[in-house]
Amino acid sequence: MLQMKEVSKVFRTATVETRALRALSLEVDEGQFVAITGPSGSGKTTFLNIAGLLEEFSSGTYMLDGVNVANLDDRARSRLRNEKIGFVFQGFNLIPDLNLFDNVDVPLRYRGMTSGDRRKRIEAALDRVGLAKRMRHFPAELSGGQQQRVAIARAIAGDPKLLLADEPTGNLDSEMAREVMNLLEELNSQGTVLVIVTHDPAIASRAPRNVHIVDGVAADVERKPAAGATTTAS
Amino acid sequence: MFAYYLHLALRSLGRNRVITALMVLAIAFGVGASMTTLTVLRTLSADPVPGKSHRLFNVQLDPRPASRSMPSTEPPEQLTRTDAEALIRAAKAERQVMMSGGNAAIEPTRADLAPFFADARWTTADFFVMFGAPFAAGTPWTAVDDERAARVVVITRELAEKLFGTIEIIGRSLRVDGTEMRIVGVLDTWRVNPHFYDLNTTVYGTGEQLFAPFSTSRELKLSRSGTTDCWENAPEPEALGAPCTWVQLWVELGSMSAVANYQDFLTSYSQDQRRAGRFEREPTIRLRSVVDWLAFKQVVPSDVRLQTWIALGFLIVCLINTIGLLLTKFLRRASEVGVRRALGASKREIFTQLLIEAAVVGLAGGLVGLLFTWIGLGMIRSQPTTYAALARLDLPMLGITIALAVVSSILAGVFPAWRGCQVSPSIQLKSP
Amino acid sequence: MHLHPILSTLRRHRTASALIVLEIAVTCAIVSNTVFLVQERLSRMNNSSGVVEDELIVVQLTGIGEKPDAAAATEVDLSALRSIPGVRHVATSNMVPFGNSSWNTSISTIPDDPNTVNSAMYFGSQDLLEVMGLQVTAGRDFAPEEYVTLDDVQSKKAQAPAVIITRGLANRLFPDKPPIGQPLYVLGKNPQTVVGVIEHLARPNEGTGRENAAYAIVLPLLAPYTVTGNYVLRADAKQASQVLTSVDTTLNRIDRGRVIMGRKPFAEIRREYFSQDRSLALLLTGVSIALLVVTAMGIVGLASFWVQQRTRQIGIRRALGASRGDILRYFLLENFILATIGIVLGMALSYGINLWLMKAYQVARLPGTVLPIGAALLWLVGQLAVLGPALRATKISPAIATRAT
Repeated sequence: MLQMKEVSKVFRTATVETRALRALSLEVDEGQFVAITGPSGSGKTTFLNIAGLLEEFSSGTYMLDGVNVANLDDRARSRLRNEKIGFVFQGFNLIPDLNLFDNVDVPLRYRGMTSGDRRKRIEAALDRVGLAKRMRHFPAELSGGQQQRVAIARAIAGDPKLLLADEPTGNLDSEMAREVMNLLEELNSQGTVLVIVTHDPAIASRAPRNVHIVDGVAADVERKPAAGATTTAS
Repeated sequence: MFAYYLHLALRSLGRNRVITALMVLAIAFGVGASMTTLTVLRTLSADPVPGKSHRLFNVQLDPRPASRSMPSTEPPEQLTRTDAEALIRAAKAERQVMMSGGNAAIEPTRADLAPFFADARWTTADFFVMFGAPFAAGTPWTAVDDERAARVVVITRELAEKLFGTIEIIGRSLRVDGTEMRIVGVLDTWRVNPHFYDLNTTVYGTGEQLFAPFSTSRELKLSRSGTTDCWENAPEPEALGAPCTWVQLWVELGSMSAVANYQDFLTSYSQDQRRAGRFEREPTIRLRSVVDWLAFKQVVPSDVRLQTWIALGFLIVCLINTIGLLLTKFLRRASEVGVRRALGASKREIFTQLLIEAAVVGLAGGLVGLLFTWIGLGMIRSQPTTYAALARLDLPMLGITIALAVVSSILAGVFPAWRGCQVSPSIQLKSP
Repeated sequence: MHLHPILSTLRRHRTASALIVLEIAVTCAIVSNTVFLVQERLSRMNNSSGVVEDELIVVQLTGIGEKPDAAAATEVDLSALRSIPGVRHVATSNMVPFGNSSWNTSISTIPDDPNTVNSAMYFGSQDLLEVMGLQVTAGRDFAPEEYVTLDDVQSKKAQAPAVIITRGLANRLFPDKPPIGQPLYVLGKNPQTVVGVIEHLARPNEGTGRENAAYAIVLPLLAPYTVTGNYVLRADAKQASQVLTSVDTTLNRIDRGRVIMGRKPFAEIRREYFSQDRSLALLLTGVSIALLVVTAMGIVGLASFWVQQRTRQIGIRRALGASRGDILRYFLLENFILATIGIVLGMALSYGINLWLMKAYQVARLPGTVLPIGAALLWLVGQLAVLGPALRATKISPAIATRAT
């Protein structure tokens, strides 16, 4: 699904050259659930941005679902992002001016679907996260957990193969966090590749595969048997 | 997709009401000021005889003596009565007409009306057909009437209704400067603006109310208005043979070759006159079409041109202003744009969305600007200048107003929209 | 207040700053030029006519048909008008200053001079100078025996022996000698002698250009109202309105078969003559105000954006000890800097526009005095416009600094 080979990213300003990633290599296969961990400034976010085609990289190769993304222009990258990837952010990033329906509609709009198709998908996605009844509400009228569920609905409305989540529970209390994680795991169990960047050991422990990024280099972590690990199966 | 962008634009404009109002007002101001002055400019430079302006030509000759060191490049703007009558007799054009402005003292038969003056034109029979004057009743007088200096008049509908209360007055008599004249025709409403055939009496205005044969006006010594230029002391400038120019001569010529032939005719006429000792200078002639004549006489007041330039400058300031406001508006939306980009919107799609928002602002600005234009023209009309009353908004100008607003705001939107879609999605993904 | 942080912020917001500067520059350039054009029109409207304006009433009339006894009828009219209470002097005159309708002539100091001077030519009746309140400041007024009728001159039975000219014309024709006693070729081959000089008498219109506006002569010619078309009444300023109402009845009692086309105090003639200047001045003033308003709107918009964008920065500054006054001064100073750059550019642009106007519309050179006015206006507008957003910035709580992002 996702193959990165020796991907590096260098930020240059007039005076300083910062290496955010150094020859990062990582493969994620179909159906996997991977948690990415690492200390602040290790390059987790840069990795996520590159993986999500939000940012270009300096060298190396990156194949997304069999497509080499290195030489794509903005339109092709946008198209690919729109069709293959769903995002879930720590800050939810819902558009405050739009109601739930219209928020979920955003990625579908850029895909040129008929309005009937879009409606079906939006309703299905909101139904999936249990918010179909509230689709005329605005984000500000919802709790944090509900907002994150809307964000997930938006991420999956377009049927992406890959879900990228950046601290999806970081702004939520534990009850809501559990709810959101259950939802994400359920999606994964239905075949969507799930990559979560997190600080939270509890979340990391729920993932079958953990990857640790330190100083811009990724390495798989050998799983120690942990209390949380068994719950994944449920 | 367009409908979606439109929907987003309206939603976004509704959110920052103050900024939206500022932008709409700025564009409306600029468009209103520009369109007000452009409408005036267009009205003032309108074609006074649509369809015929390229067929009608003003004739100029140079009958002045060689001794006076007067500028020789440009002949006098009018003709002497002698030359005008000679050219009319020669009849080398399809139609030809000579004329002069005048004042007619009218003594109404109605007891409740005091004697008054009406603007008049002393001219020849072809005038009405040549300039397309519409008749409500009766007909023009004939060439025979011109020859015999017949006591006949054509008056306007307005004058007919003022004097008689009706236009069914063909054959009735009207007392002009103490002489009974027979009414042969009544003109329907007819406005010639600019008053191209004689710019000395008026440039923009209501025109003449009474027309009578030139020959009759000379026989009765009816009073004259307009400009007279004499190069010698002349007790009677209007007399045949007087060294004065005061008559306008217009000819109708249907083709390029006819124009060339007429120019040759004028040159040979001038040479003949020179050989006969009447003219002293090398033949200098001018044959200007209506359009050339209006340009030569610079009929559009320079104040109006100046105002137009100032208004366009004003529009530029309003557009710079709109660029600034759109820029702030789009940059404020950086986080929304970042999310959209992350969800798969390409730069081009964001750019289109923002540009449509700019166009919607322009459309609103255009509608308000239309209101401003209407108010502006109302203010112009309340001014005492002679052309003021003519300034009106018509359908084409209405369309141009809206188009100007939309096009200029799209132009103003290009840069802000370009900047707005440069938002890199990655940096916006952190929590707000 | 240090300039450094402001300048570095502006450098970071180059585009927005450049737009504000550009808008101020273009506005400054246009406003400077319009202020100048308005000044010019206003000063034109204040042009002196040379006559006692608040005492004059002008009556325009025309006879109908042939009037063989016009000269006698004129005398009858004049004495009837003179008897209206409040009227001090009456004359007939072929034209009045700012009256638009004019008699002009070409004059020269030598016979058949190709370089003639175009001048307005006033005449009518004997007390014309008296009626208009014109003082002969050099030489003398016409003697009664110098008057001849226009008819006689046109039929070459008589010649006008003398002429009175304005100071402006005297300076033009005789720059280096006293004008009194000099011959002047006004009407044909025989010269008139300059007998007097009056300080100023405006022409009925400025048709032939501004430098010619002061060129006028008065001739000792007598002409009936059928030729001149005007009676000029000099009345007590206080009684002018009563005089105005009795003019028509007085003249109609003598002869009903004429058309009285107008009767108006001189002030009205002046108002009508300069109406176009007044409306242009009004229009330009309106446009200038609208321009300043639009510019102010742009500044408000951008300043609000900046305040919003810098909310956190402002909170931190406040937390670090900046007073509300400091924050306010920061934004005012920032705007002042932008306005100043804009004004400097605008001045250069003003001169560019002016150069073009001079070529295209015969506008005069922009005087230096206009620039401080334009600059002051834009500084003022800028400071006022930024005041609202700046005050909003002062209300930002320093507590914002301690809040997590």
